[in-house]
Amino acid sequence: MLSVQGLCKRFGGVTAANEVSLQVAPGEILAVIGPNGAGKSTLLNLLSGLLRPDEGRIEFLGQEITHAPPEVRTWKGLGRAFQIVQPFPEMSVWENLLVGALYGKPSTPRKVAERVVAEVIELTGLAPKAQTPAGELTLLEDKRLELARALCTQPRLLLLDEVMAGLRPSEALEAVALVRRIRDSGVTVLFIEHLMPVVRALADRVVVMDYGRVIAEGPYDAVAANPKVREAYLGRAQ
Amino acid sequence: MILVGLLLLVALVLPGLPLGEWRAFLLDTAQFAFLISALALAWDLLARTGQLSLAHGAFFGLGAYAAALAAPALGTLPALLVGGVVAGASSLFLGLATLRLHGMYFAIATLAFSEVMRTLVLKAPFTGGAIGLPVQPAFGGAFPLGGYYLAVGVLALAAGISLLLSRSRLHYAMAATRQGEAVARVLGVPVIRVKLLAFMISAFLAGLAGGVYAMKTLFLSPYDAFGLGRAVEALVIPIFGGLYTTTGPLLGGLIIVSLETWLRLRIGEGYLVVYGVILVLTILFLPRGLVSLFHRKGAGHA
Amino acid sequence: MLDGRLAYWRLGSPSPQTMELLLQTLINGILAAGIYALVASGLALAVGVVGIVNFAHGEFTMIGAFIAYLLFVGTGLDPFLSLGLAALVLFGVGAITYLGLIRPVLAAPELNQMLLTFGLSVALQNIALLLFGADTRVVSTSYQGATLSLGGLSFGVPPLLAFGLSVVILGALYGFLDRTRLGLAVRAVAQNRLAPGLLGIETQRVYLLAFGLSAALAGVAGVMLSVMLYASPTVGFAYTLKAFAIIVMAGLGNLRGVVPAAIILALAEALVSTYLPGGGGWVEAVFFLVIFVALTWRSWRAA
Repeated sequence: MLSVQGLCKRFGGVTAANEVSLQVAPGEILAVIGPNGAGKSTLLNLLSGLLRPDEGRIEFLGQEITHAPPEVRTWKGLGRAFQIVQPFPEMSVWENLLVGALYGKPSTPRKVAERVVAEVIELTGLAPKAQTPAGELTLLEDKRLELARALCTQPRLLLLDEVMAGLRPSEALEAVALVRRIRDSGVTVLFIEHLMPVVRALADRVVVMDYGRVIAEGPYDAVAANPKVREAYLGRAQ
Repeated sequence: MILVGLLLLVALVLPGLPLGEWRAFLLDTAQFAFLISALALAWDLLARTGQLSLAHGAFFGLGAYAAALAAPALGTLPALLVGGVVAGASSLFLGLATLRLHGMYFAIATLAFSEVMRTLVLKAPFTGGAIGLPVQPAFGGAFPLGGYYLAVGVLALAAGISLLLSRSRLHYAMAATRQGEAVARVLGVPVIRVKLLAFMISAFLAGLAGGVYAMKTLFLSPYDAFGLGRAVEALVIPIFGGLYTTTGPLLGGLIIVSLETWLRLRIGEGYLVVYGVILVLTILFLPRGLVSLFHRKGAGHA
Repeated sequence: MLDGRLAYWRLGSPSPQTMELLLQTLINGILAAGIYALVASGLALAVGVVGIVNFAHGEFTMIGAFIAYLLFVGTGLDPFLSLGLAALVLFGVGAITYLGLIRPVLAAPELNQMLLTFGLSVALQNIALLLFGADTRVVSTSYQGATLSLGGLSFGVPPLLAFGLSVVILGALYGFLDRTRLGLAVRAVAQNRLAPGLLGIETQRVYLLAFGLSAALAGVAGVMLSVMLYASPTVGFAYTLKAFAIIVMAGLGNLRGVVPAAIILALAEALVSTYLPGGGGWVEAVFFLVIFVALTWRSWRAA
């Protein structure tokens, strides 16, 4: 579904992405992990179009999107939820979702969009807060809003950026369940995460990055046992 | 919405009412108020996308000059259209150039643009320069109330577009662009198109208002048409009245222009002080504008 | 000093007069830079330290100019001698403005802050208009037109004095910022502005100081302006814009870069004024054009 080949991004002297290649199969949940500064967020920004790569190629559903602007990627079905949630503060939750539903795909009729919002709002458990101004939500509700908004754009593949950050364990459990529901509804998921229990619970496959490179790939247990991965997280042994 | 309709109705029938010896003055002031309110409505449209322009004086002025120059050759209505189009075209350029500017930088860039435009008009050989440009009255003066009803027309158009946009899908695109441009893009909102479209509509309306204004004052000078005063009026009124609404700029415009006219009679130069003071007081005590007095908290704008 | 003939030899064969004209233009530019640097430094303090986009900054200059004018007309006090008094008065004005108008909106969105100061600017300009009328008031000191001649170039005495004083004042300012504890506190606040809700007493004092200084610097520039140009209600407005252009060019928060940027601007203006036909009218437009191009070009390049 998503094919990344040889992606490179440099910021001055720092190579944030170094020949990154990976594939995402339809219907899977792929986790991207790695120590701080490994280049995970850069990768996500490159994938969602907020950054342009210096080299490399990104293909989505058979089409090249390497240099496409963010709106276009969303229209093609590549959605993204941000780590730091920025709701549209003056609009209600419903209206926030409506923006995604109306514009996520070109020429979506109003009725269709409203139906999408109604479905997503149920799926993500935000119905009781539908009329609340989005600026007044709690952190967990914020995160749900972010997910819901991205879902309203009817993505085939959803990029999630550390959605568990700041959540209490009970809330994280709910979030994990939500992501599973999302996958079950037919959306492929690629997510960045720090919390290993979450990764173990959710991910079908894991990609590990360090210093901008992919250093390991595979199911969680295989990757966790990989010495290179341990080194990356715990530092080089003398 | 009802209020808007009522106000427009009053505007329509005003000349028919028994106004006594004040008639000429009232109609003249009303015409001015309609045009400035239209300008304010136009400014508000652009503000909905988060673009707070200090260039509306320029759009107003460009429309005024273009219409004035085109009128002898094309007649009143086509000339007004030309005025609007010229303003709209210039806004396309400005909009494109400032796409990546926000906040203070955007404001200063639009101000710089406005001043450059003013100098160009001042120096251009065919605009009469600092001496000014005489302008034909609307329809060559054939209809005594021609100018008045043109002003009502422009106001109605501006109010109509403002209302229409609030109820359309575009409303959400504009609000999203304003409240979080990067996020809006990732949600698929065609932000560039939205910003440019808003710019062009806003400038077109401002240019129309400018054209009618030219035909009213019968004489244009760059300091008047392009003056910072116009830009200030364009922004203070919507803020005082209530941003991102139709009632706000309309009501605010009528109130403030009346105040301005009254002050101009009393204290001559320096009447703009009322704008400054109102702006300061509004920000300090009524940041959401007049309309917030009508709506309870939570309802209102998006 | 710079002998026109020497310059002629160095640069090829333009005539001595052209060389002299160029040098004279450059000198005029540099001398004018003093006032720009003062106003811009003041604005840099307001924007960089307090974090307020102060559209009314030029009006502090205007007030300074009028103070000098009124003192001169009323008591015959030479403007350059009234600098200290003007600085104190403007510091007070700045402090009052901060306490009454700025502090309440520090927690409000930036838009509101900009609108507030913009409104203040309009209000002040027009109050001055009401009080003094639109006429420009010139301060004519005895040495108004005096010039100093050195090597074929002339230095106007007022601009020279203004430049010299600017250098001294700015030197004192940077000395204060670099070497005193309070100055360090000011710079620290500029680097690391806390959320307004968390403002401790110390930070509030720093804000007050910075804003007062901001106004004082602008006011001092205004005093000099009254001699070199005139005092009028709208004289400050152009300086607001130029100051913004300068600090934007220098980069926000870069207090040091203000002086070089001011010099560049002043030189550019002088060159345009001399070499563009119809110079005077175009200077403003060229200036704004430069701002426009600089802002937009930089925004696209940053992408």
